[in-house]
Amino acid sequence: MTIRGMVVRLVEWRARSFTDPAQRLQFLQRRLGPVPSSRRNPWRALSRMPIVTTVGLALAGIGLVPVCRRTLGLALPFVLASVPATPKVQIAPPAPTQSASAMPLPHVWQVEANHQFDLYSNGLRIENRFQTSTEARSFLAFPRQQIEARAGQRLTKPAGIVFHTTESHLAPFEEGQNRMLKREGEGLLEYVSRNHSYHFVIDRFGRVFRIVGEADYANHAGNSIWADETWIYVNLNQSFFGVAFEARSQPKEGELPVNAAQVHAARTLTEMLRARYGIPDGNCVTHAQVSIYPAGRSAGYHTDWAANLPFEDLGLTNNYARPLPSVTLFGFSATALLEGARNSPLAKGLKAAQDQVRADAAVENLSEHRYRQLLQTRYRDAITALHANGALQENN
Amino acid sequence: MTNTNTQVASAIGLDVGTSRIVTARRKDKDIQFAKQLNAFVTIPFSKLTQGVLKKERIPHLIQDSEIVVYGDESERFANLFHKETRRPMLRGVLNKDETESGTLVRYLVTMLTGEEVGDGKKLCFSIPAAPLGATQEVDEHEAELKSMFTKLGYDARSISEGLAVVYGEMESSNYTGIGISCGGGLCNVCLAYLSVPVFSFSIPKGGDFIDSSVAEIRGEPATRIRTIKEESFHFNGHFANKIYDSLAIFYEDMMQALVAALKDTFASVQNMPKLNRPIPLVLSGGSAMAPGFRDRFEKIMRDTELPVAISEVRLAPSPMHSTARGALVAALSDM
Repeated sequence: MTIRGMVVRLVEWRARSFTDPAQRLQFLQRRLGPVPSSRRNPWRALSRMPIVTTVGLALAGIGLVPVCRRTLGLALPFVLASVPATPKVQIAPPAPTQSASAMPLPHVWQVEANHQFDLYSNGLRIENRFQTSTEARSFLAFPRQQIEARAGQRLTKPAGIVFHTTESHLAPFEEGQNRMLKREGEGLLEYVSRNHSYHFVIDRFGRVFRIVGEADYANHAGNSIWADETWIYVNLNQSFFGVAFEARSQPKEGELPVNAAQVHAARTLTEMLRARYGIPDGNCVTHAQVSIYPAGRSAGYHTDWAANLPFEDLGLTNNYARPLPSVTLFGFSATALLEGARNSPLAKGLKAAQDQVRADAAVENLSEHRYRQLLQTRYRDAITALHANGALQENN
Repeated sequence: MTNTNTQVASAIGLDVGTSRIVTARRKDKDIQFAKQLNAFVTIPFSKLTQGVLKKERIPHLIQDSEIVVYGDESERFANLFHKETRRPMLRGVLNKDETESGTLVRYLVTMLTGEEVGDGKKLCFSIPAAPLGATQEVDEHEAELKSMFTKLGYDARSISEGLAVVYGEMESSNYTGIGISCGGGLCNVCLAYLSVPVFSFSIPKGGDFIDSSVAEIRGEPATRIRTIKEESFHFNGHFANKIYDSLAIFYEDMMQALVAALKDTFASVQNMPKLNRPIPLVLSGGSAMAPGFRDRFEKIMRDTELPVAISEVRLAPSPMHSTARGALVAALSDM
């Protein structure tokens, strides 16, 4: 190592004893000279420092040891300014609609697990070769009765499942297309794996691939809202599993965009997840049911599985008609797309939610418009609470 | 450096961005940030409107026969009146097409600092690195801001935006690494070694480029695209929504341009310091906040051969605050 190299190492070592960032910067600049104009190449001047100067610099650095030690007690942590909470809305949230025919939790256990695949007692086999990781799941959920920063509770157990379609390019599902089908599937899996897009993908041959580990979050739901009897979940990347079918949405009712193999695989996967994590039937929902557009305060922003998810075939209660929590709890309206699809199954949930909002407004003795406005402030409160808890980014 | 409370309280870090202005100040052991949109919208003057704005304490000023609403509220009013917000700054520097751009920036800074006069406080403000061939424009911008802040009573100096990111986020590596700020008008880059900048540059692609490109293709107002981008876009791969698809394409374009420029700059720099270990790269700025941005950027970086080894590609914990934080660290280090 050259003398200059040794000196630089020494200066670096000295600098590390400053815990205050400004003091550390000041030390480095005093040792290495002032920061010149950004439009010249300042490093050039530094690199031409004569050895005599650098040795002197090293000695000066050693001389500063006591000063550095004195500063150790002056640690100045950076803490973000807290976001003030918005005024709380004095409206009791509507009671949840109880599902009388909720499906009981199945009993499924793991039979085998290795690097290549996991096998479960109901025949589910999960391929692990595309598995990636993000960060451990941790999210803020709000009790139904109280949305504010202090009321939010940090949870780590997954609360539900959101079903997606990948909306990727699909070759005809025919024997002569095998090569293309496999190539498209592999490409998709590589892409979603790179982007941590879902927890699981079910390809067109009904194979289940793990994309993100079950203990981590995945970027599948974005801005979204759902609620069960106890909790309200805002932005579901962290709180819900994302399960995607390699498929494209079919908006017309009755047109199933997936094949029998995919449905069977989805059933076994859903059974396993529900069994393993105690996920209630009512928290197994479609992306279209939970997706929102916050700026427009509107529900139904993404439209995958706005119709035709075969709930019953997945061992679930069809909950398309369930009032959308984004409307009943936060006063969101429908997107034009959703409003236009009057006959879609999801429109039933929208209508039920709108009816409930009207009824709740009457109970509160408020106009529907005013009641919706007040509900919408609850969404702001929820986002403020996520901000205040540093949970907004991770929930998005 | 002494560290009395008086001095601690008397420094301000200021990120003067195309999209937002952010201030950072030290209070006790914390750093407090405040930010406002660097934007405005004009509405026709009427006494009734003026009265309502005053009553609601909405920042505004009267100019000729118009009311100028500025800061965060401008976006709300733009949506209300179906107009586009206007910008006092364009591609990182004061917008010459807006005659009152300097005045508006001054109003915004005064609003954020809560002070009409600086009382000799240290103020470090960010300036962009000059894009190739546009040095003079940045010099004028810097001079105008410095003059403005000096007139307000501050002891003002500038810092290159990329270097501010290094100061704000790379304390752990002794201010060695690559700081990138993906802002509204530009992406600013700086490689620093032990706090000394080795090179800085910017590319004229940022959030505005993405917004306007998508707006043009999709026939939507750019303000709406920006709202969608900031509120709900993420790199999720396959979107039913075409706006998301377009956003992904132009984000990708911006990242590719950024990495290509980084590679070219490395190739052209003489007297590179000998880096004895891999260096970190930190991404910051509002345009880096889309979920999945870091992963995508890292992928492009890894696919590109650079002459230095990168130890990690990290997203700043609070990307909107990195530049202001670094400017504050620089201001405090001057004391």
